[in-house]
Amino acid sequence: MAPDGRLRVDRAEALRYLGYSGQELDVDLAGRFDEAVEACERELHPRCVHAVFPLDSERSNECRVVLAGCGLVLEGRDIARHLEGARDVALMACTLGVESERALRQRAAISPTDALMYGAAASSLVEAAADAEEARIVEEAVARGLRTNFRYSPGYGDLPLDVQPAFLDALDAPRRIGLVCTEGNLLVPTKSITAVVGLFEGEPPNASVRSGCASCALREACTLRGQGRTCHG
Amino acid sequence: MDNSSTCPHAATPNASAPEGQLPDPLAGLRIADAHLERVLRGQDFLVQDGAMGTLLQAQGLTAHGELPDLLNFSDPEAITAIHASYVAAGAEMITTNTFSANAHKLAGRTSVADVYRAAAANARAAGARYVAGGLGPIGALLEPLGTLSFEEAYEVFAEQVRAVVDAGCDIVLIETMTDLREAKAAVLAAKEHSDLPVFASLTFGEDGRTFLGTSPTVAAATLSALGVNVVGVNCSLGPEELEPVAHELLRFARCPVVVRPNAGLPRLVDGRTVYDVEPAAFAEVMSRIIDAGVSVVGGCCGTTPAFVEELAKLVAGRTPVPRAMPDAFVVTSAQEAVVLPQGSSDVVVVGERINPTGKPKLRAALKAGDYDHLVGEAVAQQEAGAGILDVNVGLPELDEPAALAEAIERLQATVTLPLQIDSSDPAAVEAAVRCYAGKPLVNSVNAKRSSLEAVLPLVKKYGCAVVGLTLDEDGIPPTAEGRLRAAERIVAAAEAQGIPRADIVIDCLVMAAATNQDEVRETLRAVRLVKERLGVRTELGVSNVSFGLPQRGLVNATFLAAALASGLDLPILNPLSARYRDTVATWQVLSGQDAGSAAFVEHYATAPDPYAAPAASPSASPSERSAESKDPVRCDSAPAPAASADPFPLPTALADAADDVRAMVHLILTGRKAPMTAATERLLANHDPLDLIDGVFIPALDVVGERFDSGAFFLPQLMASAEAVKAGFDVVRARMGDAAPIDNDKAIVLATVQGDIHDIGKNIVRMLLENYGYRVIDLGRDVAPEQVVQAVREHSVRLVGLSALMTTTVRAMERTVQLLHEQVPDVRVFVGGAVLTSEYAHEIGADYYGKDAAEAARIAERFFATRA
Repeated sequence: MAPDGRLRVDRAEALRYLGYSGQELDVDLAGRFDEAVEACERELHPRCVHAVFPLDSERSNECRVVLAGCGLVLEGRDIARHLEGARDVALMACTLGVESERALRQRAAISPTDALMYGAAASSLVEAAADAEEARIVEEAVARGLRTNFRYSPGYGDLPLDVQPAFLDALDAPRRIGLVCTEGNLLVPTKSITAVVGLFEGEPPNASVRSGCASCALREACTLRGQGRTCHG
Repeated sequence: MDNSSTCPHAATPNASAPEGQLPDPLAGLRIADAHLERVLRGQDFLVQDGAMGTLLQAQGLTAHGELPDLLNFSDPEAITAIHASYVAAGAEMITTNTFSANAHKLAGRTSVADVYRAAAANARAAGARYVAGGLGPIGALLEPLGTLSFEEAYEVFAEQVRAVVDAGCDIVLIETMTDLREAKAAVLAAKEHSDLPVFASLTFGEDGRTFLGTSPTVAAATLSALGVNVVGVNCSLGPEELEPVAHELLRFARCPVVVRPNAGLPRLVDGRTVYDVEPAAFAEVMSRIIDAGVSVVGGCCGTTPAFVEELAKLVAGRTPVPRAMPDAFVVTSAQEAVVLPQGSSDVVVVGERINPTGKPKLRAALKAGDYDHLVGEAVAQQEAGAGILDVNVGLPELDEPAALAEAIERLQATVTLPLQIDSSDPAAVEAAVRCYAGKPLVNSVNAKRSSLEAVLPLVKKYGCAVVGLTLDEDGIPPTAEGRLRAAERIVAAAEAQGIPRADIVIDCLVMAAATNQDEVRETLRAVRLVKERLGVRTELGVSNVSFGLPQRGLVNATFLAAALASGLDLPILNPLSARYRDTVATWQVLSGQDAGSAAFVEHYATAPDPYAAPAASPSASPSERSAESKDPVRCDSAPAPAASADPFPLPTALADAADDVRAMVHLILTGRKAPMTAATERLLANHDPLDLIDGVFIPALDVVGERFDSGAFFLPQLMASAEAVKAGFDVVRARMGDAAPIDNDKAIVLATVQGDIHDIGKNIVRMLLENYGYRVIDLGRDVAPEQVVQAVREHSVRLVGLSALMTTTVRAMERTVQLLHEQVPDVRVFVGGAVLTSEYAHEIGADYYGKDAAEAARIAERFFATRA
């Protein structure tokens, strides 16, 4: 985040989304990329929300996690492992809002190249917003003497996307940040993130297991892996 | 900003013709009693109830994932008891417990009619004086964000409104809307299926707008023009935060305003939403809101009978503060309002470029069903400072109502400027204004009886503003007085329909100076007369004046200045012209619109005088100069590399222009599209277009494709190069007209499959294929298998490309491939998308796998080569 509190696009990350691997960039195209990044930072205002729910250990088991208070059920062995031993679970959601959809359409009408670069910059910006929201969750957890593990999103591992409607409901996200999903459980606006963070008394058992390729649904199709790189740093 | 005291041309009320008496806005409504009628006239207060969900939650009656609406059947006593507690607290109006009672949310669990019948009975049993049948958001997104069409949304609401009427309710209450277009669908359904009063309220976020970007100004102006009887805000925030929202609503609503806040800002504590404003503090702020002019009050989330009791006490024995009827000219999109206060001399430019007359590219695009070109024109005009966009798609060969409605759909998804719907076909006007989210300006009606009778009822029904042309059965009157008389007839007929004068714009019609020289001054005089006598806004199509003369831009700019001085409010012109922008910007200083000349000084202080010699670029206006690219680290190779560096052999047919060809290849390889137009025109002057295509465009694209394959280029470079070629192709196509090398046999249907909304990959493929000369029929995203089959049949296409980003949507891809192979066996399908692999593509039955856009182009090339 910049000193003025505004979120910034991570340019290297945005370039990585575009498949950049050190090619020599003509000054004209480089200028267009800069414009996309700056416009994104100027025009888009991320909205985020999070809430902490106690983990209902009675009703949870090795293939599902049930949250008390909202009744949300997170199905899957991976998420159950991720939250094993957690006291509470934080749900979070971030979106760049309908403005991002409109901005993308405006650029696409003039130049698909500019739209593509703007889209990559926006993806990086919403990641930055998610990082900031996750940091707030960590801060609140630390204040309560709790520790956290890393954030985990629907679609990772075997946590299915069809949890999205109930997930958004539990956060009241449609009303609070205007984030909804389609019948196919894709988030709208598209530049949005939902995620789960575990809150633990003491060291999280799986904290060392970074969100890795092993649990990723895209692992077979991933182009980064082919280049010997990963998306998680 | 109101400049009435300083502007010499402002309409002075004393000199104006008296405003005509508008018909009673409540005529034809079924109103329960005299008190409610006084409420609807803003003469009495009305106290609504507070939250239902909060009390259900407190009593433990809500279960996760269950609709509270079903409690109307399963626990009618509890619902009635909650209603009764509000009645006892002083609520005169009870809203039925039907927030989710629409076909989409009920999803077949019970019928809409049954829910409303039970809910209304519960409200009556509680002793409610008035029962309002409540309608909440559908719970599914409308296009373009979602997949629900405007008419589908309308049908959902229409079913609810019929149920509200059948259940014997007194009021239709539309609440908690965030999408103005959805609210409009609900209001139209209410107006077309009932004769009950309609209340409509939106919910706004902390930035003062709904999540879809609608401000209180836009909501109040749009919905009250549409005939809503009470407009306002519910939910959202606490009373404190809603105070500025209330003020904005009051300024622009032509009907009483309702404010129903939450009991403070919602917070999630242990998974429960809590609110922290107490009834007394709530009432304190509401008292100020009432003093400002709000006359309908109630509570939303977190409020209880204790809150309503405070509200009832606040209004007891009082009558609402009288409000002046808003008299500003306002048109809106869902996100923006253009406001011209009465008496102001502000100028708003109306962009004229969305009109196929004299624009062969736009004409060709519209004929081909391609709306991207039109959207591009809109974005360019918005960026150039237009305030309103005129939209005309009138072509003899088009189904104008369908085409205009489609154009409006595309435009409102992309640009935020209010639109001026330009058509002489009333059916097209209705198709367009019905689905438009804002309050549009209809262009136009004229003083002929037939026109007045056909157009004005539409303007009234759909809450539009309207442009009146000063012509009648005898043609265009030659004198200013004659045009004034025509304008008077239009104003009188509009007022008789209930269209207030603030919504009327008069166009006194510009004639060409070359043919009707005397009439130029008459037009200017007419503008002044019409403004002074009638107090309406004025519009002129500026460029008409210069037909038949040289230096048209100069003539237009001079006329524009004269017209602005005569009181022109809305010049229709090409906002991309720097000359017109300069004239408008200068006038805004002289008129006082640019307060303190701040904008002018900022823009022009360091700009060169275009007439001062020797200017480096005499024609460049300051507003046309763009900042130079400023990245010092990256490369800027020499514009024309040496012959040895040619990436492919230069074509012999262009050997005499080798330097120009090399420069063009460089433009393509570096992805610079702006200079491509001029470069292409230069080469076309002495060379055959086909030599240019086959000798430069295609080989250069091949080089780009190879570089992309080898990793020397990454995706934006591939695309920028393709865009540069496209700019060149556009010039070639314009030059060759129908002889353009687009082979209709080489047509390809592209679609992003059903359920998937990520279409970037498909768009890249489309651009590349178009640049190789294929005709691409792009069906967009979230396309059903049947639609793909239909398009394939309709266009006799043999090759289809499908994209899907998500693992979940590959299933839809598989269904589409199967259906295609089943129903059109000779069609071949290539597929692509992030999660696909060659094996996976094969597994779902695809004929080819396109790992990226360059591969898609090669697939098409091979496919058509073997089948030529």
